[in-house]
Amino acid sequence: MALATQRPAAATAQVNTMPGFLKVEHLAKAYQVDKPVFADVSFTIAQGEFVCIIGHSGCGKTTILNVLAGLDTATSGHCFMDGREIAGPSLERGVVFQSHALMPWLTVRQNIAFAVMSRWPDWNKAQTNEQVEKFVALVGLSNAMDKKPSQLSGGMKQRVGIARAFAIQPKMLLLDEPFGALDALTRGTIQDELMSIVRQTQQTVFMITHDVDEAILLADRILLMTNGQELEGGGYAPGGMAEVVVNQLPRGRTRSQLHHLDGYYDMRNHIVDFLVSRAKAG
Amino acid sequence: MSEFFDPYNAERPLMMKCSCGRDHTVAQHQAEIQAEESGAAQATRALRERSETAEFEAYSNEFIEATLMKALFPQDEVRRRFLRAVGKGTAMAAISSVLPVASLQAMAQDKKGALEKTKLKIGFIPITCATPLIMAKPLGFYDKQGLDVEVIKTAGWALIRDKMINKEYDATHFLSPMPLAISMGAGSNAVPMNVATIQNTNGQAITLHNKHKDKRDPKQWKGFKFAVPFEFSMHNFLLRYYLAEAGINPDTDVQIRVVPPPEMVANLRAGNIDGYLGPDPFNQRAVYDEIGFLHILTKDLWNGHPCCAFGTSAEFIQQNPNTFAALYRAVLTAAAMARQSKNRELIAKVISTQAYLNQPETVVAQVLTGRFADGLGNVVNVPDRADFDPMPWQSMAVWMLTQMQRWGYVKGEVNYNQIAERVFLITDARKHMKDLGMPFEAGSGYKKHTIMGKEFDPAKAAQYAKSFAISKAA
Amino acid sequence: MKALNLNLRAGLVSLLMLMLFIGAWHLSTSAPSVGASSAGLTAEEIEYAKLLGKAPGAEKTTGFPQPMAVVEASWGHLSNPFYDNGPNDKGVGIQLGHSLARVAVGFLLAMAVAIPLGFLIGMSPLLSKAFDPFVQVLKPISPLAWMPLALYTLKDSNVSGIFVIFICSIWPMLINTAFGVSAVKREWLNVASTLQVSPLRKAFRVILPAAAPTILTGMRISMGIAWLVIVAAEMLVGGTGIGYFVWNEWNNLSLTNVIFAILVIGVVGMLLDLMLAQAQKAVTYVE
Repeated sequence: MALATQRPAAATAQVNTMPGFLKVEHLAKAYQVDKPVFADVSFTIAQGEFVCIIGHSGCGKTTILNVLAGLDTATSGHCFMDGREIAGPSLERGVVFQSHALMPWLTVRQNIAFAVMSRWPDWNKAQTNEQVEKFVALVGLSNAMDKKPSQLSGGMKQRVGIARAFAIQPKMLLLDEPFGALDALTRGTIQDELMSIVRQTQQTVFMITHDVDEAILLADRILLMTNGQELEGGGYAPGGMAEVVVNQLPRGRTRSQLHHLDGYYDMRNHIVDFLVSRAKAG
Repeated sequence: MSEFFDPYNAERPLMMKCSCGRDHTVAQHQAEIQAEESGAAQATRALRERSETAEFEAYSNEFIEATLMKALFPQDEVRRRFLRAVGKGTAMAAISSVLPVASLQAMAQDKKGALEKTKLKIGFIPITCATPLIMAKPLGFYDKQGLDVEVIKTAGWALIRDKMINKEYDATHFLSPMPLAISMGAGSNAVPMNVATIQNTNGQAITLHNKHKDKRDPKQWKGFKFAVPFEFSMHNFLLRYYLAEAGINPDTDVQIRVVPPPEMVANLRAGNIDGYLGPDPFNQRAVYDEIGFLHILTKDLWNGHPCCAFGTSAEFIQQNPNTFAALYRAVLTAAAMARQSKNRELIAKVISTQAYLNQPETVVAQVLTGRFADGLGNVVNVPDRADFDPMPWQSMAVWMLTQMQRWGYVKGEVNYNQIAERVFLITDARKHMKDLGMPFEAGSGYKKHTIMGKEFDPAKAAQYAKSFAISKAA
Repeated sequence: MKALNLNLRAGLVSLLMLMLFIGAWHLSTSAPSVGASSAGLTAEEIEYAKLLGKAPGAEKTTGFPQPMAVVEASWGHLSNPFYDNGPNDKGVGIQLGHSLARVAVGFLLAMAVAIPLGFLIGMSPLLSKAFDPFVQVLKPISPLAWMPLALYTLKDSNVSGIFVIFICSIWPMLINTAFGVSAVKREWLNVASTLQVSPLRKAFRVILPAAAPTILTGMRISMGIAWLVIVAAEMLVGGTGIGYFVWNEWNNLSLTNVIFAILVIGVVGMLLDLMLAQAQKAVTYVE
């Protein structure tokens, strides 16, 4: 199966024509005026799409996520969700942080309830509880409802974080390397779970990851990002969106069967090549 | 509530047995109470009974009247001239008709005006000087005047000063020079204070550590560290005078510190000080604790010197003249009782309890009765070791002022007479005499004193102040 | 099982240390001297001895009191703790009541100022730097130094005592609150942001619980200081209170009672701290 990739230009063109749910236009972030970390980043995400972004550390992917979450501002460029400009954090964009960010003095139930109550402050106790229990069950932690985070394993904590993000039923989910701190075994289990939840809820997702296999498993499209680099002979090239890889592997793929699928290795090799040679110099 | 029967109590049936309700006779009730009583309570009762005898009432009335006359005419010569001029009957009538504080005179005849304020707070330092003020409480003298008084033990002289200035106390036990100092604004805001009575005379001593038993001559005291209770105190002035007479400069040859009286004994024991001129009972206490001995009684320095006073603010007197009169009478009655030596032992029992002086009874008794152990192995008998004379002569105030100037506590020119009169005088008799058309010479009516062998003539106060070989350079 | 074993052993060691201490105390102090017989003395000498409290058979305590003497005195005070013989003589229970009341008022006032102010300072680097010099200068001032100023301006000795407690115990709470608030993990604040939590709700539901353990540590330290201060203040100002009790007994050089009072002060201080320690346990979390 031929690899379907899109050049940035094509991607940019798409920005203007697609009725994208999430539109990022010419985003740039610079800490030093003449050396932006990244520049001219543009992409769209359609509703219900699962998009992953891959790149080396320092390319600015977390910054992009923070900008989308409203926790950071770009130096230039705009983001739009559902036609409205993103100007700050919102319950419409749920976030799962790299470290679970659970509040350690609250139980699992209370942590998620906090989110639910933020979203629907007029609900009564019964309604809140119902929502909480539904999403805890979704991540398979019904037994641990009344435990404190310190009593949970790393994987369980991350699942709670996911449950919390899902429980507010946001329009879009932003995940910042959510499985980076987990061991391989746990990671696998949770990836499966995430996939099934996303399918159930038809969630729109934007995720940062280092794991190529993970991206190939989960994503509908994979954005490849380069780092900013000093050029020979002076000058500086900011990082940016190098390529968009469209994942044409069949939906309903599973982790265990992934590597058997046709086209898997082509895609994988392509991405690894990118990371090794083109993503950044030095 | 009557002790015996309770016919006026609407709440209870009138039983012809003891009003406490138990089934025994009144006599049995009394006997029970007496058997349970502590020594202090017994003494209190005995003294109360004595104070209610006709004999004592007559004595105290005369005492008060004499005191009042002294208050009105603090210069004895003036008083005598006045009486010679108009005769006793006219004098009494004239005074009573003219004084704005007419109630002062009425006090001698037991007539009271309506009291402006009945709940009063009076501060005291737990020393024997405060005896009249303190004993008036358990012996009921305040109650008899219709006053509800709380006598409050205070931690130090500075606090007494502050609580008088901020009016937390209505009246208080003072060191005699304090009202002078406060009125003049030395060491605090200037708030006019008045001395109502001098509480006691004599009653202090210079106590030295046992290790100085062989150093009885003050000339040997160079380098010593002494303590006094407060800068503006007779203790400080007398000590300095005594040292100066022996050729020791109190500012340069020795160290004089301010230490609260209760801490004097502890400091002596710890060796922080070599001796102190302090109030009793702390001199006797040092002997009792076998740390020190009595070097000399202040009675032997200046017999009849004032020590502590009972005073209040000028404002209080102006706003509450009747209350002040009642208070005055109560304290004077107590002073009258305290003067009689037959009462002294019982008084010691009453005031040595925890609520007042909180000292072993024998220590207080030795101070008041004047029969005491001197720390050198002798039992000594000095009945006027401490005395209670409420109205000494104005010349004493002048002496204090000269000493204050001598040691630099007061700077500049001092109008001795004017200040002494203002502070040590309750009413300005002379002004009123003039209104009556009875002219006076100001005259040298101030009494002369002999202090440590040197004559003090109040008429020549300024010269006296400058006449000393040793003083603080102005 | 092992924990119980450890606690038991520690308890035994404590007991042993206490007994050693009391034993050493007993051995190094002497029993009250009893007056010698009066045989062979002149009348004057007999009387002299009597005046010094050394009559034949009379007991006179000299020097440092023995453990048993302290126990007896303690029993005396504790068995009748609420008597009231007028303003200068009240039972130890009443005195403690007065002291605790002052501490309560002063401490609560300090809390009411320290925690909100600490919050503000913790959230704002500008305010933090602006307040810092004042805090550093005022913090080390001893209560005894504040007392005269307080008496002069506030005039009432009760109010002055409370003010001195306030001004001395406010600092640990203030500093710890500011620190706790400023050290709240960024990610929790981010969570609150992404959930669009209002500032007030964020303060109470995120920042406060996060900073609570630090705040309570500050409160414990402050309570210790408050208790220390009240005793000193009452010794200076007198009137009522356990500090006044100590001063009154000191006047009488009654070391037995002073020691008793010291023990009471220590025990009550410990109980106060324990109370706050329990509170601290309730808000501590494990990350």
